[in-house]
Amino acid sequence: MDENSLSVIKLKNILLVTVPDDPGDDIIHELQTKVLHAIEKYQSKGLILDISSVNILDSFFARTISETTQMVALMGGQTVIAGMQPSVAITATELGLHLGKAISTLNVDRALDIFTDNFKLV
Amino acid sequence: MNHSNSKYISNFKSWAEQKRFLNFTDEDAEFLKKLHPFAIEYADTFVEKLYDHLLKFPDTKRFLGDEKMLMRLKLAQKAYFMDLTSGEYGEEYFKSRIKVGITHQRIGLPPRVYMSTYCYYMQLIIPQIYGNPTFDFETANGIFLALHKIINLDQELAISAYIHATDEVISRQTEEILEMSTPVIQIWEGVVAAPIIGMLDSSRTQQFMERLLETIVATNSPVALIDITGVPQIDTATAQHLIDTINAVKLLGSQVIITGVRPVIAQTLVHLGIDLSGIITRPTMASGLKVALDTLSIKVVDTSKA
Repeated sequence: MDENSLSVIKLKNILLVTVPDDPGDDIIHELQTKVLHAIEKYQSKGLILDISSVNILDSFFARTISETTQMVALMGGQTVIAGMQPSVAITATELGLHLGKAISTLNVDRALDIFTDNFKLV
Repeated sequence: MNHSNSKYISNFKSWAEQKRFLNFTDEDAEFLKKLHPFAIEYADTFVEKLYDHLLKFPDTKRFLGDEKMLMRLKLAQKAYFMDLTSGEYGEEYFKSRIKVGITHQRIGLPPRVYMSTYCYYMQLIIPQIYGNPTFDFETANGIFLALHKIINLDQELAISAYIHATDEVISRQTEEILEMSTPVIQIWEGVVAAPIIGMLDSSRTQQFMERLLETIVATNSPVALIDITGVPQIDTATAQHLIDTINAVKLLGSQVIITGVRPVIAQTLVHLGIDLSGIITRPTMASGLKVALDTLSIKVVDTSKA
């Protein structure tokens, strides 16, 4: 596995991860591990998952997002999903996939707004 | 020409199958060929007689048009008579029969006129077959049966092409109605509105959801108003479709406000036990817009009172 395939960016008190197009199960697993380690390392209070490049959301990915949200919450952080594509949202609704306690926003800008307005984090 | 979306249209393969079903053999083709010299000789007289008859009735006359049009029709009819007795009933023949049906549909010629014209056609031809001294009784019978078969095949083709053409018009209109009935409009910076007119069934929901979600993303709107003033009655299926749409919008990161909840709709929702408690609902689009603006921290001021 390419170690550089996924980068977790620290922005002040939060973390930003851009999920690549069509992520495989290993990438998704790597994402969870990297995020949790970064939260431990930086004591981050929030996580933004930018999924605007993702065209296909399968049940494994949806479950991982939901679980990661819970894990991040256990470590004291709030997760925001940014930029879901309309087609992905429709499929997710049809399949009855849930993202758990994660908040959705239209794009990364608005996700940052949420952290500034609601959590005073940025 | 797109034939794929109708169950009525025949393709060349199914037509060949139909030929087998009717027992249309090479022998039949040979019998029809025997009529060919006769067709060459008498085609003009035939066509004249046929059109004289058609012109006698106002119902058929109005489809024949002016002199020029009539000339064209007569030529086409003559060509058909030639084709009919050519002995060649392959793909070319098949295609021209389909074209006839589509043309008839386009000019609005009722199938009843087409069918009864065939009947008159037979009335003209049959006495000629049996009265022809060069045909013995067996041959005349063979020709008659072959003619009967090919005409049945022709009619089936023209009528199914006719129905298919009508079908296409209907499906195009259905699509247009779908498009028209679910507009999604940006009514404020950050607010889109989608008035639903009529019942929300699953195919409409799909279309509506796609357009709503795409507009939300394109206009970057955190709030969407779905107005159901134009929905006559709500049932559990419609409510479920609405809830699905709301969930999809939530996944994008926007918020839905349902507006236009009339008393009768409110009563039905409660009686059906549909839980919309997690969703903001308002009786009018105006009050919904107010909630939307509040959410976006936008204040609208009446300047005359300031």
